[in-house]
This record gives sequence, structure tokens and C-alpha cells, in this order.
Amino acid sequence: MALFDTPHNHRSLKKRRPRSKRIGFHLDMTPMVDVAFLLLTFFMLTTTFSKANTMEITIPPEMTEVKVYETNVMTLRIAGDGMAYCSLGNDAPKKLPLYDSLDTRQLALSKGLRQLLKQQTLANEKTVIVVKISNKARYKQLVDIIDELNLMRINRFSLDDYTEQDDKEIKRAI
Amino acid sequence: MSRIKSKRIAFRIDMTPMVDVAFLLLTFFMLTTKFRPPETVKIDLPSSHSDLKLPESNVLTVTVSKQNTFFMGVSSKQSREKIFNSVIKPKLEAAKYSTVALQDSLKNFRLSENFPVGRDELEKFIVRARFADQKLLPVIKADADTNFEAVNHVIKIYKKAKFLTFKLMTTLEKEVN
Repeated sequence: MALFDTPHNHRSLKKRRPRSKRIGFHLDMTPMVDVAFLLLTFFMLTTTFSKANTMEITIPPEMTEVKVYETNVMTLRIAGDGMAYCSLGNDAPKKLPLYDSLDTRQLALSKGLRQLLKQQTLANEKTVIVVKISNKARYKQLVDIIDELNLMRINRFSLDDYTEQDDKEIKRAI
Repeated sequence: MSRIKSKRIAFRIDMTPMVDVAFLLLTFFMLTTKFRPPETVKIDLPSSHSDLKLPESNVLTVTVSKQNTFFMGVSSKQSREKIFNSVIKPKLEAAKYSTVALQDSLKNFRLSENFPVGRDELEKFIVRARFADQKLLPVIKADADTNFEAVNHVIKIYKKAKFLTFKLMTTLEKEVN
């Protein structure tokens, strides 16, 4: 951007007094505006308004006990081998793969497991799902399960400790 | 045949409004930008569909890295000071540190977003933090690939400290199927 100065009339220049009124004074602001735009693009591109997303879970307090009918309890045990063991009450657990493929980046739970959870909650509204995760499992699996339950709008679930008893239960699996 | 082209006369657009807007945006971005503090450990968060946002203040974060090491962070400086006074100070005093050294480490501690905590010490720190600030909101920030055992350790401590509702930090999952 160049400055366009109107040429002065030379004739009048001679007659003008040395201290004349300055009319049409121009300051070239181009460099400043350039820098301003550079900074603006820098800040616009580096700013991410992202705030970390979170997922809320509530765990039952240690001392309280809630009595639930055995048939209303569905236990979901996650062993370290990538398998889920679902059992209703005291029935022998049913073995299902937790994910459809062995790819560790898999995001959704397996279809079979989703269907089972959905059917059970539809069949019996009072179903409480108890999730027990083995210490050998990964943290991701916990997040995926809770996420899936949240998506299916199942909010009657709780976390429980995985004990040796659960290891024995798993052996009965079909 | 040639058309007579009108001569273009040098023209000028008033750019003032554009520059004004540019400066306005510039100041906005400059003032709102907070540079992310350098991360002590790299955490690959697991993904979920939940879109709850992390609260701004009073956050107690326990970070579990892939190597199953624990880090703790409290967002408010007052609580940090309280934790320092009740947990770290007696330890340093027992080790015969001078008051200058104590003050120096307090200053450092006030500014640290995150500090590594041993597995056994974590419970003490969390319980102290709970006493120091009643309004703390507990958050677990764990790598997707950590052992559940390490996360369970934190959950058990939260349970003992009567933090019954807490948040797991995740990233938003893009729809895949």
C-alpha cells in the first residue's frame, strides 16, 4: 500500500508562510497493521478453547448396604483376558468378548454384550448392574463400560471390588 | 476494435474499521490465552461420549501415568499451602531443614500444578487436602493404558476420604459406528 500524495502547487508554495497549517497528514500504518494481523492469526490458531471433558461416577459408601433381590442383580466381571463374564444372580456366568475385535483402539463394546445389557434392563426395570473389574484389566475398559452404560441410559449400576471369589465364579463360565 | 478502457484512478479504501476489529480480536485473544503449563508426564486420555466439562476451580486431580506413578495437583494456592503445612513441613523439619529452605520449598510448592506422590503417601495427601478444603472436586486423570489396579487404588482412597462422586477425565469420542 503506497501513499498517494497530491502534488503541491509549486506556485503557491513560494507564497506560503513557513508555518502553515498541516493538512492531510498521513502516517503509514501498514507495518503496524501487518504486525497486528500476524499476532492475531498466531493467537487465533494457537488458542484452543477446549476444556477437558469429564465423566462422572458415583461409588457407594463403604458402610451402607442396600438389599437387592438376587434375580435383580446382574454381575459383569471383567477379567484381564479381554473377556466379560455376565451373570444374573447366582447363575453360571456367560462368557462374552468385551470388544468385537482384538484391536486395542476399539472404542465401542461388543455387540453381544451391548445387546445382553439392553435386553436385561428392558426385561427387568429393577436390574442393578454390578461391575467388577479385575486388577489385571486396563483403565480404558472401565471408562468404556461406564460410557456404554451412560449411552444406553442405564444408571442403576455400581462398581465393586473384584475378589478371589470372582475368579472362581469365572471358571464356571459357559 | 479495441475497447476504450477507462483509466483507473488511484483509489483508497478506508481500512480503519477493519483494523479496529483486528485489534479488538487481537486484544481478546491475547488476554484470554493462557499458555498450557508444560506437562510433567504424557497422558493419553481414554475417550468417552460424555461432554461434561471440567470445573474451573477447586479441583483435586490425581494423575496416574502409564508407568503407574501417581501425581497430585490442587488448583487453589491456599489449599496447596495448607497441604504443605500439614504434610510436608513436619517432614522437612524433622530432617533439620533451615527456615529459609522451608520457605523456599513452600514458595515452590505453591506454584507447582502437579507434584509426584508415592503410592503409600497418596492417601495421607488426599485426606489432608480434604481437610484443607471442603469444596474440593476430585478428578482422576489416568492414561487409557494404565492398569486398573492403580486406578482402583485411587478410587479406594477417594472412598475412604468420603469423596463418593468424582470425575474421570476423558476426551470426547468421535462417532465411529
